[in-house]
Amino acid sequence: MKQILYDKAAPAANSILSVISAFVVGGVILLFIGKNPFTLYGQLFLQGMGSSLGVIETIIKMAPLLMVSAGLLVAFSGGLWNLGVEGQFLMGAILTGWLAPKLVPFLSLPVYFITLGGIGFAGGMIWALLPAILKARYNLNEIIITLMMNYVALNLVTWMVKGPINDLSVVPAQTKLIPMTHRMPMIPFTRIHLGLIIGLIVIIGVYWIIRRTTMGYQIRVLFANKRAAIHTGMNVKRIIVWSLLTSGGFSGLAGAIDVLAIKGLFQGGWNPMYGITCIPLVFLARLNGWAVIPLSYFFSFLVVGGEFVARDQGVPVFFVHVLEGLMLLSFAAGEHIGKGRVT
Amino acid sequence: MLFEEALFVTVLASTLRGSMPMLLAALGETYAESAGILNLGIEGMMVAGAFASFLVGLQTNMVPLGFLGAAIIGAVLGGIIGFLVIGLRLNQIVVGLGMTVFTSAFCNLLHRIIFGSQFPMLWGAGMTTEIPVLSKIPIIGQPLFNQHWLVYVTLALVPVLYFLLYRTSLGLRIRAVGETPWAADASGVNVYGIRYLTIILAGVLASTGGAFLAIGDLAFFIPDMVKGRGYIAIVVVMLGRWNPIKVFLGSLLFGFALSLTSALQVAGLKVSPDFILTMPYLVVILTLIIIAKSTSLPAALCVPYKRGE
Repeated sequence: MKQILYDKAAPAANSILSVISAFVVGGVILLFIGKNPFTLYGQLFLQGMGSSLGVIETIIKMAPLLMVSAGLLVAFSGGLWNLGVEGQFLMGAILTGWLAPKLVPFLSLPVYFITLGGIGFAGGMIWALLPAILKARYNLNEIIITLMMNYVALNLVTWMVKGPINDLSVVPAQTKLIPMTHRMPMIPFTRIHLGLIIGLIVIIGVYWIIRRTTMGYQIRVLFANKRAAIHTGMNVKRIIVWSLLTSGGFSGLAGAIDVLAIKGLFQGGWNPMYGITCIPLVFLARLNGWAVIPLSYFFSFLVVGGEFVARDQGVPVFFVHVLEGLMLLSFAAGEHIGKGRVT
Repeated sequence: MLFEEALFVTVLASTLRGSMPMLLAALGETYAESAGILNLGIEGMMVAGAFASFLVGLQTNMVPLGFLGAAIIGAVLGGIIGFLVIGLRLNQIVVGLGMTVFTSAFCNLLHRIIFGSQFPMLWGAGMTTEIPVLSKIPIIGQPLFNQHWLVYVTLALVPVLYFLLYRTSLGLRIRAVGETPWAADASGVNVYGIRYLTIILAGVLASTGGAFLAIGDLAFFIPDMVKGRGYIAIVVVMLGRWNPIKVFLGSLLFGFALSLTSALQVAGLKVSPDFILTMPYLVVILTLIIIAKSTSLPAALCVPYKRGE
């Protein structure tokens, strides 16, 4: 990770080339499955970027990507592999879906939203707590633990939504519907909900903290040289715990906002798998918060356009994940070629 | 008495069966890690193996060819990962993640294109082979000696792979490459060759493990059927400390955790299967906490090797 991310030699070029080469390899795969890549990519851009529906949907979908990416930015900046964003997202989402209808009669709207945002954030933090403590206390590899926490979360939320917190009045396993009056408000004169603004504030705020504050500096030192961090008397354990908790918190917040703005409830089996999208995204952004914004637009466009194309052209949505995996691989390869790298 | 016997037999049989995919993957991972490669692509390899075996088996209508197809795909994927992390010396974690995302998504894509939303069965898959005489032993006969043929092969592989890694000069070379690649190189060991060999072996075994899941234990493929077993295999290797025999015991532990669902149904306990399904992963985390202090990784794990540095 060290070699990959803090190389300033060719900042944007490699990211752009990674996207292009992923599209090229993806095109070969399309040929292989008997689809015309030019038609498909043409439709993808036409519908995803060329239609107002596509553009609006893309902008709406940016909100969770910005928040999850902000969380990953914190963790990756400290060299911590938080691969558990899916679980953290689900915990934030299910707590919100469960508690929001209960809070409706008691709280005024602003307090209600702030409370639920806090609940979502807390849900994500809770799910990052165990990996964080194990990493700080025993230096246990967070990769496996966070991945395992994802599988625990997936099964746990299915269990919760089928049993303890089920809305018994409807057949599908889901929580009670949040009334329309208590959904996330829209940005005036648009049908884009406020999550976008929150996401933009979060990513810029997080990036500012990482680049401009003592705490952020300490996180970066931890990444660059853990031994040096310990020797300069930094409380490394505390930094590890708080970076991972904050990282989980933002994923949980994304879950809360998706429930409050888009879904209106938590459904069994719902898992948008933002991790698969946001990990390549944050890599391509080279841990730069400003670069995350246009890339969020681009990845959101891929997801939205991919859904449109899946319906029209018969290329399943999984194709977008194929492209995302390829981007990650070609980004890693590009770093190597760009530098003629010596380990 | 009859009830307890039925429970015991079910648990024993499904533990053994359930541990096979992880055991196969973990045996391969033992070799790769011993030679210094952490293979996070293992999860994707298992998905690919499961899908390839099912597809080939269904197309040719011959189940054994399915296993062959999986092994070939596994070797190819191992070769690709090898090229990226040995040849190009890319970051093993990023490559592993990228490969897992790519291969899983690619299999899901092909599955949706070929089968739509249908999940056909592969007839003739999942058949067990009864070993004469031994299977007639009361109680333990059926669960132990009436299993799929791959179970017997895998069990036989455990001592063979142990012997190869710890009692032969090839095994010594593999371990040398994982600990001090420069020293191994200086004494004439082909570091790159050994690493390629182990990652390809890891691919073959992981994909075969995936194949066992799809057409050995069951007879169909569903896209998310691997459910983290590849990652669990990595934990099994840590638990077994790169010793195939201990790796076998470790995978039995997780096989047991996975078999709890069917066991509790037999026992007639009304616990939600979704809740029980969190158990294997919690057992993994618990295991990691317990072994936390005693794990030491091969010194050159995750470190690419370049001559003359």
